[in-house]
Amino acid sequence: MCADLSTQIPCGRALRVAASLLRACGGTTAYLQVPPLTGDQNDTGQIGIDPPNLQLLPLSPAVFHKMRTDLLLPNQPQRYELRISAEAVAAQVAQRQLASASSLFSMASGVIVAGRLFMIEATSSFEDQGEVYLYRILLRDAASSWPLQNPQAGPQS
Amino acid sequence: MQNAKDTFYITLRNRLTQVNPARTILLRSVTRPGILVEEAESPMALPVLDAFTLRWTGLAILPQLPLPLAQMTCEIYYSTAGTQPNSGLDRGRALEEMDAELQQMLSPQCAPKLNYTTTPPGAMLTSIFWSEPEFQPAVPLRDQISRTALVTVWSWQEAGER
Repeated sequence: MCADLSTQIPCGRALRVAASLLRACGGTTAYLQVPPLTGDQNDTGQIGIDPPNLQLLPLSPAVFHKMRTDLLLPNQPQRYELRISAEAVAAQVAQRQLASASSLFSMASGVIVAGRLFMIEATSSFEDQGEVYLYRILLRDAASSWPLQNPQAGPQS
Repeated sequence: MQNAKDTFYITLRNRLTQVNPARTILLRSVTRPGILVEEAESPMALPVLDAFTLRWTGLAILPQLPLPLAQMTCEIYYSTAGTQPNSGLDRGRALEEMDAELQQMLSPQCAPKLNYTTTPPGAMLTSIFWSEPEFQPAVPLRDQISRTALVTVWSWQEAGER
């Protein structure tokens, strides 16, 4: 058994195609809810007294849709799928100086799309020549439905 | 009851820094001792490994006493996948280490009750106290092993306390 030594030079083609397709398919903006870069060091921040001051990171282009109900088990809550361009995710990963996209998704407490909050169930990625070009995030409705106050979280046009 | 829950968590957290200062987690951009209150954090798809998660479940009020006595059940959940240098084969040892740490953190079994809604936290008139931990069987799940310890926490309900 030997390693695959063929030359593969990623040229970003898949990345650009994915971004173009997402835009063409009615791309919207999803906002990832993440903690601030400087967290709350106080005791009150750890026992639910202080507000967490979550930040919203815009990710665009993204395509959001309901999952087919025939794929759901009985009594399973409605699931949604969000497909995000890897370019947008990479930009946020670089801006926050994180090690990887999975770090970004693991620190996120939710996703806001069109003013609605969703919880992250799972994430996966699609690769071409070792380069991620698309992220797929599985979401479910958040139990809470309080009005979101951040103007960025308003419905997308 | 909330003052008792807050006091129990802060007490265990402070004791953990003495018992094992190296047990830390990075949560919401803060590196802190490896213990958290589940209901005070964002929902997580997977539990945090190598950290203690406090989950408040049972509640009963015993009224036939000079002051009402709140009796709460705290489930302390912890799991580990061992360490990378040992390829996870030391996960049993890591769990045993957490068992011992928890036992040390829970001793002595009382703490003065504080009100954390004021700054600085206000001392209250009574203390909280708790039972010996009831260690549940270890649960192996693929490359992880976890355990839950049940602790009963009692707190006198002082006048004006919710």
